[in-house]
Amino acid sequence: MKGRIALGILIAAMALMPLLLDPRGYWIRVLAITLLFAAMAQAWNIVGGLANQISLGHAAFFGIGAYTSTVLLLKFGISPWLGMFAGGVLGGLAAFIIAIPTMRLQGHYFALATLAFGEVMRVIANVWTSLTGGPGGLSVPFTAPDFFAFSFKLLRPHAYIALAALVIVTAIFEGIRRSAMGYRLRAIRQNPAAAEVIGVDTTRVKLQAAVISGALTAMLGTLYAQVAVFFDPDTVFGIAGISIRIALIAILGGVGTAAGPILGAFFIIPLEEIMNDLLSSRAAGLSQLAFGVILIAVILWRPRGFITVFDQLWARWSRMRSP
Amino acid sequence: MTVLDVRAISRRFGGLQALSEVTFSVARGEIVGVIGPNGAGKTTLFSTLVGLIRPDSGSVTLDGKDLAGLKPHRVASLGMTKTFQNVALFAESTVLDNVLTAGLLHHGVSGARDEAVRCLERVGLKDVAQKRAGELSFPERARVELARALCTAPKVLLLDEVMAALNPAEMSEIMLLIRFLRDDGVTLLVVEHHMRAIMNICDRILVLNFGRLLADGTPEQVARDPRVIEAYLGHPKEGARR
Repeated sequence: MKGRIALGILIAAMALMPLLLDPRGYWIRVLAITLLFAAMAQAWNIVGGLANQISLGHAAFFGIGAYTSTVLLLKFGISPWLGMFAGGVLGGLAAFIIAIPTMRLQGHYFALATLAFGEVMRVIANVWTSLTGGPGGLSVPFTAPDFFAFSFKLLRPHAYIALAALVIVTAIFEGIRRSAMGYRLRAIRQNPAAAEVIGVDTTRVKLQAAVISGALTAMLGTLYAQVAVFFDPDTVFGIAGISIRIALIAILGGVGTAAGPILGAFFIIPLEEIMNDLLSSRAAGLSQLAFGVILIAVILWRPRGFITVFDQLWARWSRMRSP
Repeated sequence: MTVLDVRAISRRFGGLQALSEVTFSVARGEIVGVIGPNGAGKTTLFSTLVGLIRPDSGSVTLDGKDLAGLKPHRVASLGMTKTFQNVALFAESTVLDNVLTAGLLHHGVSGARDEAVRCLERVGLKDVAQKRAGELSFPERARVELARALCTAPKVLLLDEVMAALNPAEMSEIMLLIRFLRDDGVTLLVVEHHMRAIMNICDRILVLNFGRLLADGTPEQVARDPRVIEAYLGHPKEGARR
């Protein structure tokens, strides 16, 4: 009940935002990117939140999605809408392949193994010049505005597509959380041996979660490519820019909850932009320093994420209503 | 009729022979006690039966099916599960969710929830269903684990010291429950240190010592067996010298 009200309000607020922002402006781009990062953190949450496998390699799937749809568009003229699904299939496949050796790892070891995988993908994209354009990156060609070609004059449709993606990924996350798979993932997270003994196929459930998470992240990579218009291996396969940022958003917002990644994204992405806006002209690195200090303060204040602030407010409100 | 057949299973951990050619079989509906001094291999035996540990040699057959190489979740779906000696709950989840997860082996979420409520009623924990499992006392947690194991609808249930830390009243409740389960057709293997309890409920007792099966018989036979007395109390002559 509580969750449904909160999500309803969040979605309504997000649906209004694109109308309030200048459609040619800078902030509507920030909004679209924020929504995409919220969706990515939500996809990450399927593995990171429910199974508590902290992946620092989700850029691998994200980049696969961005490159797959863009290469298909450039070389064969295939609409990014179709390319998105091709990217999803490849992203899911990559997640499956990486999950087989890393699945048994826990904690830091899992994080480091996935981090390495993301880096391997970045290196491959840099050297496979004939396919990816190498370090020079790829540009999404501008064509006449057409929904089916995923081409728009202004950024407003992109913001709504990103919002729709966020809603869909959140629904998938929530569906998994409440399903048999959600129960099984929570059991695996807390005690894998006990989960096996009472009949949970731990290997299979972890693989399923990894593939769903990887495929969704890749599809979001396509949406990003269409908003960004230009990207290179270092941006879409970046450790700090993508992998760690996705994990950070979910952790700061509240791991394992549907609202957590949304809260986290709406805090981190705009904050970074504001810091750059205010401080980057003063001294080199000052904005990153301020950003880092704020993140540390927030983690110390709310180690279990922003979501706990709302939990507290809700508890107080409920107490006031029923004395 | 034999439901569980164990043939010459052995398992070595480095220099320690944890199980050595252990052979026995269990008939459907039997309650079999497994006793032995600490380190005798009781818990290793249970872990090997459910597939958490692979035996180096030997075979385990459940209802005519060879369990060689099967993972624990396959063994559970064939009808054998165990509880853990030190209680292995999903501590952050509610009591109901702990048990419900086991019910998913044979049901969807809502069917598993109904089944979990029934299992919790059975162990007398329905009132704490919505509490987090980690908040419960140790005896309550042991009962949650029992309910969770029951929720997989086992043919053979291995209970590893579920009566540890229980007071006499709680202990007799669990003993009663074990008898009820047997009447429902569940076969039980019970590791327990509490001798009076185990002599009381078991049809048969296996005695392990240093990974070997030392004795296999009725409680009366085992209690009189000089080798068992020696394993537990030491050699009579050594005792006499003191």
